[in-house]
Amino acid sequence: MGLLAKRGVKVGGKALFEGNDLLTMPATTLRDMRGAEMAMIFQDPLSSLNPVVPIGLQVTEVLKRHRGMKGEPAQKEAADLLDRVGIPDPRRRLKEYPHQLSGGMRQRALIAMAVACRPRLLIADEPTTALDVTIQAQILELLKELVADEGTALIMITHDLGVVAGLCDEINVMYAGRVVEAAARRPLFAAPTHPYSVGLLGSIPRLDAPRGEKLRPIPGSVRDNIAWTDGCAFAPRCAHRTDGCLDGPPALVQTYTAHSYRCVNPVTSDEAEALTAAATLPTPSIVDASTETDGE
Amino acid sequence: MMSLLSVQDLKVHFPIKRGVFFDRTIGHVYAVDGVSLDVERGQTYGLVGESGCGKSTLGRAVLRLVDVTSGRVEFDGRDLASLKGEPLRKERSRLQMVFQDPMSSLDPRQNVESILSEGLAAHGMIGDRKARRAHIQQTLDAVGLPRGALSRYPHEFSGGQRQRIGIARALVLKPDVIIADEPVSALDVSVQAQVINLLEELQQDLGLTYFVIAHDLAVVRHISDTIGVMYLGGIVEEASSDVLYVSPRHPYTKALMSAVPVPDPEVEDTRERVLLKGDLPSPANPPTGCRFHTRCPWRQETRCDTERPELTLVGDGHKVACHWAAEIEAGEIQPKSDAVIAAAVDAG
Repeated sequence: MGLLAKRGVKVGGKALFEGNDLLTMPATTLRDMRGAEMAMIFQDPLSSLNPVVPIGLQVTEVLKRHRGMKGEPAQKEAADLLDRVGIPDPRRRLKEYPHQLSGGMRQRALIAMAVACRPRLLIADEPTTALDVTIQAQILELLKELVADEGTALIMITHDLGVVAGLCDEINVMYAGRVVEAAARRPLFAAPTHPYSVGLLGSIPRLDAPRGEKLRPIPGSVRDNIAWTDGCAFAPRCAHRTDGCLDGPPALVQTYTAHSYRCVNPVTSDEAEALTAAATLPTPSIVDASTETDGE
Repeated sequence: MMSLLSVQDLKVHFPIKRGVFFDRTIGHVYAVDGVSLDVERGQTYGLVGESGCGKSTLGRAVLRLVDVTSGRVEFDGRDLASLKGEPLRKERSRLQMVFQDPMSSLDPRQNVESILSEGLAAHGMIGDRKARRAHIQQTLDAVGLPRGALSRYPHEFSGGQRQRIGIARALVLKPDVIIADEPVSALDVSVQAQVINLLEELQQDLGLTYFVIAHDLAVVRHISDTIGVMYLGGIVEEASSDVLYVSPRHPYTKALMSAVPVPDPEVEDTRERVLLKGDLPSPANPPTGCRFHTRCPWRQETRCDTERPELTLVGDGHKVACHWAAEIEAGEIQPKSDAVIAAAVDAG
């Protein structure tokens, strides 16, 4: 998005959006694209909304800038947008300030602003981390609908593997600034290859795991990293380390199934099984199967 | 057998004051409104709920860190809610608290030795210098901190290590009960697991009793024997950890369970989910009748909005506060169809 501070930051490489490199694009072109073609949803809606400007003005601002709408049509469109993201009584909400909305409402307002111009790319940076689980479920459902209905591409940035498992098609696992494993979601969770992915999966308590099962945390903390140039940054914390790990930066290995990993000594599926296998209890059905609601 | 810690009909109401010269009380926030629960010795009681449901206030009220409006908090046969001054202070050495944010609950200008010996001094367990040192060292070993930690300050440690200091501070007094308010929610996932394992090991080794307060159902389920689910100042369901997961009976618990993402696509795709509408109502103006009826997909025309359901026993140690729990279980009452999201892929 080109939102990083200019000073002291080195950005290299390419970021192609429909063939055009965002990194070398003139600032004016990029400004036209932000909000219209691609939009971002931030983590904390309270600090990313302007506290002294009513919600309505903040939503119509986007419409004005990119779609040239103003006056009543813009108001109506803004109300429709709020309605679509599930804010009740949108006309009244338009006049309210961010502090008058609850956390879930604020996040919805932020999503409404992001989708105002039907962007083709939506980047969501921890959109639900600050929210309670029931509200999180509402927001995730909303994002799912947007992707399905509008054909928007969504980049979800999160630390929560549970959110990823339910929402994403492709997953990249990052560690210390590099992608260490990339795969479609089912292979990634079924057969994690990089020891870090395996470690992550082993360290989260699962709702469906029986009580008393030990967690297998990754030893140490992110502080214990080494630079990628010296070898694998994860090596100091890795239980699956070999001597080859410190010989230089490991390359991203591509397998024939579009599952790639950056590791010299990957975890085989048998080992992963042993590391993550949880004798899971049967998933309870919320509505008993025999009493299925009609129309389904 | 008597429970080690027993809370009976506890209420904590905070007055809402307004006025320039005179503080007029114009209402109350019903943070905790009639909660009863029992914590058995050597067990872990987990309290879950969303933010604003009063779970932290309940934890603080047990230790009398906030004033109790009414009700009893019985600890080992004595009512803490009516104790005052010195006797209360004495009793507190047996109930210790671990707080959420280790950075703000540790004094940045005290080194670890001073943090750990302060409680010992306050409760006269100081002994001679050598014995005290040895005891503190032992505690540090128990929580997995290096011996060199004694002379260092909180900012020199990582988040996980700071939480270990917080746990050591609670442990050093050899308490019977540790009340942990969101002990791991400020930590990274990998570090979170280390601290959870530590808490479990300490419980096994020292026979501690835990009262754990958290919003993360998966964490609570992992460490608790018994779980209480709290909604807007009251407990709506209480059961053993496994029973609660396999057969949640209260509509709120069902919704909460299905909202927690499981890191497994197979599970995520095949389970049905209940989606709640709207937000938590304000505890200053709670709904009449059942507190949950404004958001409940199983809501009925009668009773729900007029009568507050009592926590009633429905099975072995399983208590539910819902008028219609039996009917819902039997499938006689269906949820509103728009609240249930079918599984993305059919199971099997």
